[in-house]
Amino acid sequence: MIELRGIKARQGGFTLSVEGVTLKQGEFVAVLGNNGSGKSTFLSVLAGLRNYEGGYLLDGRDFRELPPPERHGRISLLPQMTTLNMPFDVFYVVLTGRFIHTNGLNYTEADIEATEQAMEALDITHLRGRQFNELSGGEKQRVLLARTINKDTSVVLLDEPLSGIDILHQHDSIRLLKDLSRKKLVMVVIHDLSLALREFERFLFFTGGTLSYEAGKHELEEERLSEIFGVRVNFLRHDKGILVYTEGR
Amino acid sequence: MISLKRTNLAMAVSVSLLAVITVIAVSKGAVEIPLLGMTEVQRDILLYVRIPRVLLAGLVGASLVLSGTLFQYVMKNPLADSFTTGVSASSAMGAVVAIMLGLGPVLPVFALAGGLTGLAAVYKISSVRGRVQPITMLLAGIVISTFASATISLMKFLSDDAVSSIIFWLMGGFQSASMGKVATLAGVLAASFAVIRRDYLSLDIICFDDTTASSSGVDVARLRRKAFFIAALLTAFSVGYAGIIGFVGLVVPHVVRLLRYVKAAELIPLSLLCGALFMILNDLVARTVLSEGQELPVGIITSSIGGVFFLYLLIKRKKELYYFD
Repeated sequence: MIELRGIKARQGGFTLSVEGVTLKQGEFVAVLGNNGSGKSTFLSVLAGLRNYEGGYLLDGRDFRELPPPERHGRISLLPQMTTLNMPFDVFYVVLTGRFIHTNGLNYTEADIEATEQAMEALDITHLRGRQFNELSGGEKQRVLLARTINKDTSVVLLDEPLSGIDILHQHDSIRLLKDLSRKKLVMVVIHDLSLALREFERFLFFTGGTLSYEAGKHELEEERLSEIFGVRVNFLRHDKGILVYTEGR
Repeated sequence: MISLKRTNLAMAVSVSLLAVITVIAVSKGAVEIPLLGMTEVQRDILLYVRIPRVLLAGLVGASLVLSGTLFQYVMKNPLADSFTTGVSASSAMGAVVAIMLGLGPVLPVFALAGGLTGLAAVYKISSVRGRVQPITMLLAGIVISTFASATISLMKFLSDDAVSSIIFWLMGGFQSASMGKVATLAGVLAASFAVIRRDYLSLDIICFDDTTASSSGVDVARLRRKAFFIAALLTAFSVGYAGIIGFVGLVVPHVVRLLRYVKAAELIPLSLLCGALFMILNDLVARTVLSEGQELPVGIITSSIGGVFFLYLLIKRKKELYYFD
């Protein structure tokens, strides 16, 4: 579904570099790394929001040759920070996620129906009439997650979608994303290593702008992770999976 | 849907008010014109003076409001309009150049060139990676306006024949209304509206940050260029026909938003109607408030109302301004 070869993207003094990786439909991928390691840049390159050198194939076609509407019709991105400067209500914010499915002029009954479902899935139906900007941080994040899912594309890129969300809704949200990933490629930037180890099957690690380590759940090594994060990472294995215990310098 | 009903009601109210005010504005003035049984002189005044004037006022009001609304969308800045961005002053500069060169008939073209130049400068100065900083924009707008005014003063100084007419024109007013101008501006406004109403959904989406808007499937750069051009075009024609009339494009959309019409599909048509209404009223006041047929330039009235409102925004809604940012 996504094939990358020799990708380089520069911004100021920062360079993102990805030697090669292939990502397929049905995968649930965690993207990890310390601040400034290139995770967000990586997602924005994939989403077509940044210039790059190298080879990027999406569904077997050169990404550069896809016209922008087609790119956005295949890939959704939830950025790390979203701001809105008009006092729209929650329902409308989620509805605007359907834009690519419209003729550009009107939202249809089908769009409204999809919006209702996305809101239900994220448990925000009760917020529908509230003003988006007056919500709490976690509520906003759930609304934006619903908006992104509402776009219903085959690739879903989420930059720290769980930040600020309470534990209860974190569990619900991650389960929802996992369900989605059966039919789509879902990539999630996440900082909680324990949660990542419990829920994800595939891991991409970034250090200093480079995709430095890529592994399946069962191939992960404590040593490599310790190097990547700069803290001592210990796995505590138990019958339900792996707990992560970290020690600072 | 309830909101649709609410919007339709508001549209109906605005249209009726506009009709009533238009009729009143047409009949009042230095010469009262009875709607029934008018003399030939009164009929001529009505057809060749009053009606063009009222229509031009309405069209300029609507144009300035549409341009202000578009500036606010693309600059993500509630303080933006043709006046605060310096586009009015730089359009005026272009227009004065046209007058000086004796090219009156193509005055709007010069006004547009001036306006686009000023806009490009303000946008370049005040944007950081595609985001316009509201306060920097105001400062840049002041600088550009000052520069444009200085240039106009210089040109006035260099050639003293057309001076007084330029001064009066710059203060803003509809004295020089004609059916030709009405028809041209009506055409420009109708075309602009027809183009921009196809972008209502996109305009709503660019209220999000650029990353969110782009990944939602909106071509942000293209929409921004388009909206800037239309806004500058409307400003250029308004300034060309009625001089600099400040703050209308700022006040009217703000009031409509405060009434909770926040989606482009509601905000833009309602603001257009209210802009026309507001300007016709202002012009009516301007030409009836003084006795014996004397007139105040309408810009004085709108700028006073607008100035007070602007101050209110700065003081009372400080939080919302930053929110907006």
